[in-house]
Amino acid sequence: MAVKTGTPAERAANWTDERLTIAGPIRRQLNKVFPDHWSFMMGEIALYSFIILLLTGTYLTFFFDASMGEVAYNGSYTPLHGIEMSRAYSSTLKLSFDVRGGLVIRQIHHWAALLFVASLTVHMFRVFFTGAFRKPRELNWLVGIGLLTMAIGEGLTGYSLPDDLLSGTGLRIINAIIMSIPVIGTWTAFAVFGGDFPGTEIIGRFYIIHVLLIPGIILALIALHLALVVRQKHTQFPGPGRTERNVVGERVFPIYGAKAGGFFALVFAILALLGGLFQVNPIWLYGPYNPSQVSAGSQPDWYVGFLDGSTRLFPSWEIRLWDHTLSPLVWPAIVMPGILFTLLAMYPFIEARLTGDTARHNLLQRPRDVPVRTALGAMAIGFYLVLWISGGNDVIAAKFDISLNAMTWIGRIGVIVVPPIAYLVAYRICLGLQRHDREVLEHGVETGIIKRLPNGAYIEVHQPLGPVDEHGHGVLQYAATPIPKKLNRVAGASRRVRGFFAPIEEPPPPDELETDTHRELAGRPADPRP
Amino acid sequence: MDDAVDGPGPDEPSTTPEATPKVPDMTEASPPAPKPGRPGPGRPGRRGRLRRRLSSTVALGMTLVVVGIGYAAIAAAATPHRNAQASSQNDPVELRKGRRIYEEGCIACHGANLQGVTDRGPSLLGVGQAAAYFQVVTGRMPAKRQEGQAPRKPPQFNAADAEQVAAYVQSVGGGPEIPQGDLHDGDLAEGGELFRLNCASCHNFAARGGALSAGKSAPSLGDSSDEVIYAAMLSGPQNMPVFSDNQLSPEQKRAIINYVQTLKQTADPGGSGIGRLGPVPEGLVIWVVGIGLTMVAILWIGAKS
Amino acid sequence: MSDQQTRPGAPGAEPDLDAMSPQELADYGAELDGVHIVHRRDRFPVPGTRAEKRAERGVAACFVLTFLASVAFIVIYIAVPWQFSITDNSYAWYTPLLGVTMALALAGIGVGAVLWAKWLMPDEEAAQDRHDGFSDEVDTKATSAALVAGLEMTGLGRRSVLKRSLGLGVGALGALAVVPLVGGLIKKPRGELFSTPWKDGVRLVTVDGRPVRPSDMEPGALQTVFPGVPGGIKAPDGATMLIRLRADQKVTHRPGQEDFGWEDYVAYSKICTHAGCPVSLYEQQTGRILCPCHQSQFLVTRDATPVFGPAARPLPALAITVDGDGYFVARGDYREPIGPSFWERP
Repeated sequence: MAVKTGTPAERAANWTDERLTIAGPIRRQLNKVFPDHWSFMMGEIALYSFIILLLTGTYLTFFFDASMGEVAYNGSYTPLHGIEMSRAYSSTLKLSFDVRGGLVIRQIHHWAALLFVASLTVHMFRVFFTGAFRKPRELNWLVGIGLLTMAIGEGLTGYSLPDDLLSGTGLRIINAIIMSIPVIGTWTAFAVFGGDFPGTEIIGRFYIIHVLLIPGIILALIALHLALVVRQKHTQFPGPGRTERNVVGERVFPIYGAKAGGFFALVFAILALLGGLFQVNPIWLYGPYNPSQVSAGSQPDWYVGFLDGSTRLFPSWEIRLWDHTLSPLVWPAIVMPGILFTLLAMYPFIEARLTGDTARHNLLQRPRDVPVRTALGAMAIGFYLVLWISGGNDVIAAKFDISLNAMTWIGRIGVIVVPPIAYLVAYRICLGLQRHDREVLEHGVETGIIKRLPNGAYIEVHQPLGPVDEHGHGVLQYAATPIPKKLNRVAGASRRVRGFFAPIEEPPPPDELETDTHRELAGRPADPRP
Repeated sequence: MDDAVDGPGPDEPSTTPEATPKVPDMTEASPPAPKPGRPGPGRPGRRGRLRRRLSSTVALGMTLVVVGIGYAAIAAAATPHRNAQASSQNDPVELRKGRRIYEEGCIACHGANLQGVTDRGPSLLGVGQAAAYFQVVTGRMPAKRQEGQAPRKPPQFNAADAEQVAAYVQSVGGGPEIPQGDLHDGDLAEGGELFRLNCASCHNFAARGGALSAGKSAPSLGDSSDEVIYAAMLSGPQNMPVFSDNQLSPEQKRAIINYVQTLKQTADPGGSGIGRLGPVPEGLVIWVVGIGLTMVAILWIGAKS
Repeated sequence: MSDQQTRPGAPGAEPDLDAMSPQELADYGAELDGVHIVHRRDRFPVPGTRAEKRAERGVAACFVLTFLASVAFIVIYIAVPWQFSITDNSYAWYTPLLGVTMALALAGIGVGAVLWAKWLMPDEEAAQDRHDGFSDEVDTKATSAALVAGLEMTGLGRRSVLKRSLGLGVGALGALAVVPLVGGLIKKPRGELFSTPWKDGVRLVTVDGRPVRPSDMEPGALQTVFPGVPGGIKAPDGATMLIRLRADQKVTHRPGQEDFGWEDYVAYSKICTHAGCPVSLYEQQTGRILCPCHQSQFLVTRDATPVFGPAARPLPALAITVDGDGYFVARGDYREPIGPSFWERP
């Protein structure tokens, strides 16, 4: 029934609903509940960085010329005046020096790319260590790993576009890596580069991959990723009122939406700050790409650094097979990341097979409660860190006066020795934390109050967390939730509600609640009564 | 940058026009170095000296006066500074001072006749004023110990002393010398291309230095003056290759120096250069500042209210 | 999204929608969506207190900051000098000022929105029911039946001729789609990987095209030289390191290369045999040629054999001599492929 009266908003809503019958679905989306733990916001950093990448990237496409045709530079940056360079490099220089405000947008774009991959990694760690990838969310984990690999590829094609000396050197190495593939390597490299390196095609092809193909794939994967989260609802930590059958938190409209929108603006603000205050990818200092030139301290962007490290560390083991050569590059640059990312992608299925756990899980686990998984994750991170640091071993050697050859050996030995040590240390820490949790449940919280017994012995008074049995041991069972270890976290006793900068709620002054029981619970000695 | 100008020591009377060591002074237009043996224009109290000189080398002295004043007049405006040049080369007092410095700081490892001492120091015959000046003014020499690479350290001898001992080394064995004149008067863009081809692979694209094998390093050029860079290219100190004037002409060397010094003087347009070392500090910044600030924001937003 | 709707209240009892207040209607709708409001606390139950006004002013101040910072951004964008200049470094303020004002403008909105939620909006906690696991029996059975019956309608199961011909056709159609894409990209690697522009008699030239005499270099010098043919300087595989050895350096040549050098000069390909970077760093005293990319080190006294790092093959040597005019010339191309290894390399 058409409604012709009402406010403009009501009329607009009715106009739409009459045609789409959409009132119910809209309300269902507005009422969706999202849990509000802080660690769930890290994926949002990635989402907002991507939006900012799309916005700034579109601006850049208006000025960038993805051509490898040569031109003599005639822009404002005097030290390169008259130098022969590709149009790709020249147009990037023009954007940086001859377009008002172009440099700040370009830098925001680059910092956003670095933050995109960093936040994806941090988000992946959160999902891994809390077990959010378990059934029924294995598919979303696979989508996430797909997003990670696409993001790395997007960054690589992106920073190679200006055709500067640093990224061009990286392209040369990529060409060598492709060529190292047995049997089809040279054919693949010639297909990608349109002939021998560097050819005249690669920048143009990277351009389309970077602005059309991969962003399209990423957008589709993000849509799938978010759709799965909306459909399956978000996981949550165990806690009061939180079960496997519900989600407790805030509704999207208006509270969660306000915070999420605010967070988007804050991420954008942080990227704007970085883009203005910290110079990134100063291609004018590198110079245009020239296959006979190279700079000391050449590295790719941080997220490719682990591959640079593995390539530096891997020994010179070349295999000759009759009339053919298996280059040593193939192991650290293709086989190792292939195995690493395959293990990463398959992990939910591997863990389910090893633990025999086929139940659905909507509640998260504390990392300490799954010491094997946490230790495996620590081991993987240790392996990755050794490779990542080795990727910059010449810069570290130069800055900290360490022998370059020694840095290489430290990396080679470290990559074998650090992961098992990381596993053991993380495992023992998890066990220790678990034991402490159960010890506090059994014996209560340390109050810091020392009491002298009539027989002269000193004991520390412990505050039980709940009912105790005849031996004085607590009967509360561990429920996979954080155990308060300090008195000001114990519910029931007066405590501050922690805000961020200042307490939200101060406890009432002691005079107001003058009972012995209260004082006992709070661990304060009885005041002398008049 | 250049050391402060030192006058002659308390026991060194300024009896010759060249006794006042002239070091490159960027701030004032001082008269250029006159040819060896001749006084500069307008200096008081030198007539007696001049007559004494003329009385012993009449014809040569007349010619040299004409050439020297002519040169000074022509070059005065064009080259306001004077480089570490062996103008004291033929001055016996300067050479004596240089030799004294040599005997104080260098003889133990390089020998009484600059022939070198086995397992201690190489021969200095033929290394030239450029090499000696470079090593002494940057503090690398005298070396404290035998090691893979003598590092740059606070110089034991000031620039004036470095000039003198360099002149002495030159006088004994000969070799390449730092030329006169403006050493960064070269084509900026060409200098950049030459720098990237010949220098960046060791010293990094912005001359910030880089690692060499087994504990050695190519240093940052941040503290290097024009003379020091020129001398290094010319003399190929330690593991640095030698770039003779036939390989990199003086014009090309000046172009490279112009590029390096210009890079040092121009500000980074994009904010803090974070070391001009490439993606390594950039990765550090994104994790420490980028993830750090976003985590602060997350913890604030997620905190109970 | 098909969440099942739980209807509160007595079955069949329709609430009077027009008599409900907006908040009651909203909560009723939430219940329909399986969302239960666990608690809701108005932060300012008494309207118009000073605390509320303070909170409101705080949030408004954030938005005012956005306004001021945005105006500042626009003013800076237009008015502050930004053009690069060798002599005047004042352009260096432009980008940082733009970044800071943009950050402040965005932070104003961000902080304001979050504070609005934290200080002014009610403190609310809601719980939503999950409906996961298998669909209802009716749905699972009916859907699988729909698929099975539909397939039965097509008769694919029975009609094997149809199935096989369809498979044949679709398979070939898929190949049709892929073949032009891949075929257009494919380029047969010919001899490019096995040869460079160097030939017998080609002069070694510097980057500005000058030929090189032996007297141009001192002992302990390194110079990058290129083939003196058209396009030789731009060719990516022609860059060669010409090295003049020191008096105390004696080269132990690789077999077959004993006469490749000329007096105390040797020439090696500059393209690293590991991953193709220009090798470049020559330590004249130790005789090591260091590649900055992955730290491979080649010893010049062992004819550029790798002694450290991931490179497996020595740098190919270029046979050189001096021609009648006194300039360096090559005596032929490199006798092995330069640069990184590949499958077809023997």
